[in-house]
Amino acid sequence: MSRKMGYFGLDEEGYDRIYSDRELFSRVIKLFKPYRRSMTIVIIFICLSSVTYGLTPFLMSLVIKQLELESNPLILIFFIINILILNSLGYVFNYVNRRTGNRMVYGVCYNLRRQTNLRVLEQDLSFFDKYPTGRIVSRINSDGQKFGGSVTMFTELISSFLMLIIVLIPMIFISLLLTGVFMLIVPIVFAFTLSFRKVSRRKSVLGQRSLAQVNAFVQESMAGIQIIKSFRQEESQFENFQAINDQSFRVNMSRALYLSILFPSLDILIAVLYALLIFFGGNFVTQGVLSGSDIYLFLQSSLILFAPLLQIAGFWPQFQEGLSAAERIFALQDSQSYIKQGDYILDSIKGKIEFENLGFEYVPEKPVFKDFNLEIQPGETVAIVGHTGAGKSSLTKILLRLYEFQSGDVRIDGHSIRDISLTEFRRSIGFIPQVPFLWADTIENNVTYGAPDAKREEVIWALEQAGGTEWVESLDNGLETFILERGKVLSMGQRQLIVFARVLLQNPSILILDEATASVDPFTELQIQESMERVMQGRTTIIIAHRLTTVRNVDRIIVLDHGKIVEEGNHENLMQKNGYYARLYNTYFRHQSYEFISSIKSKISETNP
Amino acid sequence: MKSQRLKSQSAILKNNSEFHLEEDDFLETRHKGVRSWILSHMFYRSNKYLMFIFFALIVFTSFFGSYIYIIIGKAIDVFSAGQSDQVVSYTFIVLFIGLGTPILGLLGRACREIVAQRIERDVRREFYLSLLGKSQSFHDRAPVGDTMARATNDVRFLNFLISPALAMILNAIINLIVPIYLIGSTYRLELMLIPIIFSIIFILYLRRFLRRLTPPTVSRRIAFGFMNTVLNESLSGIEVVKSMAQEEHSVEKYKDSAMSYRDAGIEQGDIQAKYLPLLLLSITVTLGLTIAVFYNRAGILSVGAVLGLVGLLLQLRFPVNASIRSFLMLQEAVVGAGRLLEIMNKKSEIFDSHDAVSKEIEGKVKFENVTFAYPGTQNKVLKKINFEVSAGQTVAIVGTTGSGKTTLTKLISRLYDIDDGRILIDGIDVRNFSLQSLRDQIAYIEQDIFIFSDSIFDNISFGRDSSEEQVISVAQEAQAHEFIENLPDQYNTEVGERGVQLSGGERQRIAIARAFLTDPKILILDDSSSSIDSETEERIQKAIFKILRGRTTFIITHRLSQIRWADLIIVLNQGEIVNQGTHEDLLKNSKEYQKIFIKRFDKTLDDLLGGD
Ligand SMILES: Nc1ncnc2c1ncn2[C@@H]1O[C@H](COP(=O)(O)OP(=O)(O)OP(=O)(O)O)[C@@H](O)[C@H]1O
Ligand SMILES: Nc1ncnc2c1ncn2[C@@H]1O[C@H](COP(=O)(O)OP(=O)(O)OP(=O)(O)O)[C@@H](O)[C@H]1O
Ligand SMILES: [Mg+2]
Ligand SMILES: [Mg+2]
Repeated sequence: MSRKMGYFGLDEEGYDRIYSDRELFSRVIKLFKPYRRSMTIVIIFICLSSVTYGLTPFLMSLVIKQLELESNPLILIFFIINILILNSLGYVFNYVNRRTGNRMVYGVCYNLRRQTNLRVLEQDLSFFDKYPTGRIVSRINSDGQKFGGSVTMFTELISSFLMLIIVLIPMIFISLLLTGVFMLIVPIVFAFTLSFRKVSRRKSVLGQRSLAQVNAFVQESMAGIQIIKSFRQEESQFENFQAINDQSFRVNMSRALYLSILFPSLDILIAVLYALLIFFGGNFVTQGVLSGSDIYLFLQSSLILFAPLLQIAGFWPQFQEGLSAAERIFALQDSQSYIKQGDYILDSIKGKIEFENLGFEYVPEKPVFKDFNLEIQPGETVAIVGHTGAGKSSLTKILLRLYEFQSGDVRIDGHSIRDISLTEFRRSIGFIPQVPFLWADTIENNVTYGAPDAKREEVIWALEQAGGTEWVESLDNGLETFILERGKVLSMGQRQLIVFARVLLQNPSILILDEATASVDPFTELQIQESMERVMQGRTTIIIAHRLTTVRNVDRIIVLDHGKIVEEGNHENLMQKNGYYARLYNTYFRHQSYEFISSIKSKISETNP
Repeated sequence: MKSQRLKSQSAILKNNSEFHLEEDDFLETRHKGVRSWILSHMFYRSNKYLMFIFFALIVFTSFFGSYIYIIIGKAIDVFSAGQSDQVVSYTFIVLFIGLGTPILGLLGRACREIVAQRIERDVRREFYLSLLGKSQSFHDRAPVGDTMARATNDVRFLNFLISPALAMILNAIINLIVPIYLIGSTYRLELMLIPIIFSIIFILYLRRFLRRLTPPTVSRRIAFGFMNTVLNESLSGIEVVKSMAQEEHSVEKYKDSAMSYRDAGIEQGDIQAKYLPLLLLSITVTLGLTIAVFYNRAGILSVGAVLGLVGLLLQLRFPVNASIRSFLMLQEAVVGAGRLLEIMNKKSEIFDSHDAVSKEIEGKVKFENVTFAYPGTQNKVLKKINFEVSAGQTVAIVGTTGSGKTTLTKLISRLYDIDDGRILIDGIDVRNFSLQSLRDQIAYIEQDIFIFSDSIFDNISFGRDSSEEQVISVAQEAQAHEFIENLPDQYNTEVGERGVQLSGGERQRIAIARAFLTDPKILILDDSSSSIDSETEERIQKAIFKILRGRTTFIITHRLSQIRWADLIIVLNQGEIVNQGTHEDLLKNSKEYQKIFIKRFDKTLDDLLGGD
C-alpha cells in the first residue's frame, strides 16, 4: 500500500484531474442551465426577502425616531402595520425562494448523478478492473450529496451579499467615517479566509477519499463475508477495518479542527473592529458629532452585518468541499473510455469471425496475444481448449469489445469491430461468461434480461432447454422467486442454467460459451448439450471448456497455449496427431482410471511412510 | 435486584452474535432505543468530559455573545450622557469579551469536533463489528449497497448531530433564554410574557415540525440506500450489462432510484420552506414594538429602553434561523441511528452457546436425521440426511445441480443451523462447539470463489501471519507459483475486485493455495477444479492427495478422478441421500449414480469397473 502524507490508500485515482476553479465554475453553471427559470425565481425572491428583512431594523429606527419626536400615534400605528406587512411578505418571499431553490438543487444533483452514471457505464472493462466499485459508488452518490449541500450554501451567499448592501447604505448616511473604519476590516477578513482555501481543499479531498475507501472496504467485506466466516477471519478483517476507519477519523478530524479555527479567528478580528467602533463612536458622541440613537443604530447595524460578512468570508473555505466533490465527479465523467464505438450498424450477422494479427495486453509488456490469427466461418462450431490462463476468456472479451486490443484487427462479416455500433452487435451475440452473474430480481426477469418482451411460455421453453424446470418449480415461488444479488441463494449450477436460458431467449447469431456448464453435473450437462445441438444450428458458436467430453463433437478444436494456437483440427485428427490435445484428452480420461488413482495412492504412501 | 437482572440479560445478549469482542459498552443501550444509544455514545468514556466542557463553554460564549449587546446599549447611554472618561474603559470591556469569547469558543469547538469524529468512528466500528457477527443467513438477504450506505452515510449523520447540530441547538436554547431573562431583569417583568409565549409556541411548533419531517427523512435515507444498492449492483454486473448491451436498463433503474431520492429531498425541502416560526417571529417583534410604544407613551419606558427591548426581541431570530437546519440534522441523525440499530439489534441466529467447547477436532463426522431449509424459505433443501465418516476418511458427494451438496458442507462449519436432527463432530454437536474452534479447524475451497482486491500474497495468507516461504510453497503445490511469477509484481500483484484480473483457473488455484495454508482437520473441496484443465488438475491432485492424509475430507465434484479415491460416496438427489457406498458398489446398485456418470463417458459398466 502506498503511503502519502502518512495516509494509505488515499492517493488519487488514475482518472483524477485537477481543474482550475474557473473550469469548475463554468461546469457547475452549465449544470444549472436547464434550471434558468428556477434560478431567476430564486434570485428575485432572495433579493425581495433580503430587502424586506433588511429594511425592518431601518423601519424600526424610524418608529423610534418618531417616539423621540413625540409625533402622532396614528403615524406610529401606520409604521407598525407596515412593518408587519413587510415581514409577512418577507415570509412569503422566503418560502418561494427556499422551495424553488431546494427543488432546483435536488434536480441538479439528480441530473449530475444520472449523467455520471451514464458516463461510467460507457467505460470499458479495463476501467472496472482498476477502480473498485465501492469507490465509484461513493463518488457518484456521496460526493453528489456533498455537492448538493454546498450549492445550497451558494444561494445563501447571494442573500448575504444583499443583506450586506442593504444594511450598509443607511450606515453610510449615519457616518461615513465610521463606515470607513468598518470597511477596513473587509479586505483583512477576506485575505484571511482565502488563505484557508488551499489547505481546506486538500483536506476535503482526503476526507472524501477516505469515505470512499471505507465504502469500498465495507462493500468488499460484505461481498466476501462467507469466506471470512468459513475461515474464521473476522478478527483480521476487523483489524484491517480498524486501520481504515481510524485513518478516516484522523483525516476528518484534521479537516474539522482546521476549519474550526476559521470562525473564532474571524470573531477575534471582529472584536478588535468592534472595540475600534466603540472607541471612535464613543468619542464622536461625547464630542456631539453623533447622536445617541445614531450610534446605536450604527452599532446595531454593524452587528447585523457581521453575520452576512462572516458568511461571505467563510463561504470560500467551506465551499471547497463542494468544489472538491464536483472535481471528483467531473473527473469521473471526463475519464475516457479506450473503446470508441463505430457507427456502422450490422443488421443481420452471418457470423464470420476473423482475428488478424491480433495483439493484446492487459498490462503493458505482458502480452496475452501476439500476432494471433484465427478465422471462423459462419455457422461453424469451434471449441477452444488449453491450459488455464492461456487466454481463452480474453479472446471472447476482445470479440465482444469489452477490452480494446492494441494491434491487428478483428472482423465480423468483414467489418472491423472498431467500426461498428456496439448495441446491435452485442445484442446479437449470446455470451455466457465464465462466472455467472444474476440480478437481484425474480428468476423470470433474469431469464428475460436480454429479451424484455419475452412471454412466460418462452421463459419456460428456455429453461426446459437448459436442463428442465423441475428445480424452479420446487422453489418457494417458482419463476417468481426473488433471487438476491449475484443469485447467491441459488446453487452454482442453477445460476449457470439461468444464464444459459437467458442467452437462449436472446436468440443470438453468435454464441460464446465460456465454461457455460462447468458447475453443472454431467447428467444435466448432457441434456443441455442435446438442446445445444439444436440451438447451434446455423449459428457460429465458440465453446470454451475444460471438460473435454463436451467438445468432442465440434467442427474444429483449437488448442491455445500462452496466446498461441498450437494445434487445430477435429477430435479424431487431433487424437491421431498425438500431440498437445491428445495429451490433455488422455490425461482427462487416464486419471479417471483406477490404476492412475492407485498409483498416486501408492506413490504418496511411499513418500510419506 | 434490577442491576442483577440487567447483568444476566446482558450476558445473554453478549453471546448473541457469531463474532464479538470482549468489551461491548453499548450492548445495553442499543437495546434501549435510539435515544439512549446516542446518549451513551455522547457520554462515552472521556467524551463526557469533552461534552461537559463543550456544554459549559457554549453556555458561556452564547451568553456573552448576547451580553455584549447589553454592554453596547449601556455604553451608548453613558456616551450620550457625555461621560467621555468611560469611552476607554468600555472599549476595553468590549475588547476583552470580544477576544475572550472566540478563544473559549475555539476550545469548545475543538471539544465538540473531537467528540463528533469519535462518535462517527466508534459507531462505524460498532456497526461493522456487528455486521461481522451476523449469521450468513442475514448476509444472504442484506443488499450490499444498502449496508454500505448505512456504514458511511447514516453513520456520518451522527457526526453532524454533534457538530454542528447540537451546538446550534444549544446555542438556540440559550439565545432563547437570555433575551427573556434580560427583558425581565432590565425592563419589566410582564414584558417577559412576549418572548415566553413566543418560545412556547415555537417549541410546540418544532415538535410538530420534527414529526412532519420524519416520513420524508426516512424515505430519503431509504432511497439513498436503494440508490447505492442499484448502482453497486449494476457496476458489479458490468460485464453482463455490456455484453448484452443493456446499459439502458441499468440507467433506467438507477434513474428511478435517484429520482425517489430526489423526490424525498424535495418533500423535505417543501416542509422546511413552510417553516412558520419565521412569520411568528415577525409578529412577535411587531407586537413587542407596539407594546413598547404604548408603554413609552404611558411614560413607563424610555426611548432607549424601547430600543433595547426591540433589539433583544430581534435576537430571537438566531434560534429561529438556526433551528431550520439543526432540527433537520437532528432528525436525519435519529433516523440514521434507527437504521443502524435496526441492523445491529437483529438477532444473529447463530452464536456460541454458553458452554461452548473449544477442542482439537479429530475428524469423525456424523449426520443424524438432518433436515434443513434456508431461513425464510419453506423448501426443504436437505431431508433426513444420515451418514457417518470416521476421522481421516474422504467423502465424495455427488448429485445433480441443486441437490444440496454445497448446502450439506456449509452445515458442517455451522454457517447455518439445522432445523431438525444433529450434526456431530467427534460425537459433539456442532452447536456446542465454539465457532472459533470449529471454523478454525475446517478449511473450505468454495465453489463461488471469492478473491479480495488485495495482493496475491495477502489473498493466500488471508489474515494469518505466514512467511513468504510458506506462501510460495503452498502456491507451488496448488500449481499457482508459475503463473504468479509471471505477473507484473509477482506475489505483490493486486488482483482487482473479486480477482477480476486473473483467469478463472488462476482464481481457483489461489483459493486452493489459501486452503492449503491452513492446517485443517476437516477439508471441504467444493467443485474446486471446475475451471482447471486436466493437466494442471492432475498436478494439483497430487498435492491435494498429500494434504488429505490425516484429515477428514469432503469432495464435491463431477469428475470421476476425484470421486474414485473416496472411502465413501454419497449420492444426493433433491436433498435426500439416495445411495451411499464405494464407487464399485454404487456403479452396480445406484441408478442415480449411473445416470450421472455412465452416459457421460460413453463407457460400459465393465469399463468403468475394471478401469482397463
Ligand atoms: N482483467 C485482467 N487484467 C489483467 N490481466 C488479466 C485480466 N484478465 C486476465 N488476465 C490475465 O490474462 C491471462 C489470460 O487470462 P484468460 O482469462 O483469458 O485465461 P483463460 O484461458 O480463460 O483461463 P481459464 O481457463 O483459467 O479461465 C491470464 O494470465 C490472466 O492472468
Ligand atoms: N442461501 C440460500 N438461500 C436459500 N436457498 C438456497 C441458498 N443456497 C442454495 N439454496 C437452494 O438450495 C438448494 C441446494 O443448493 P446447493 O447449493 O446446496 O446445491 P448443489 O448441490 O451444491 O448444486 P450445484 O451442483 O449446482 O452446486 C437449491 O435449490 C438452491 O436454490
Ligand atoms: Mg477463462
Ligand atoms: Mg454447489
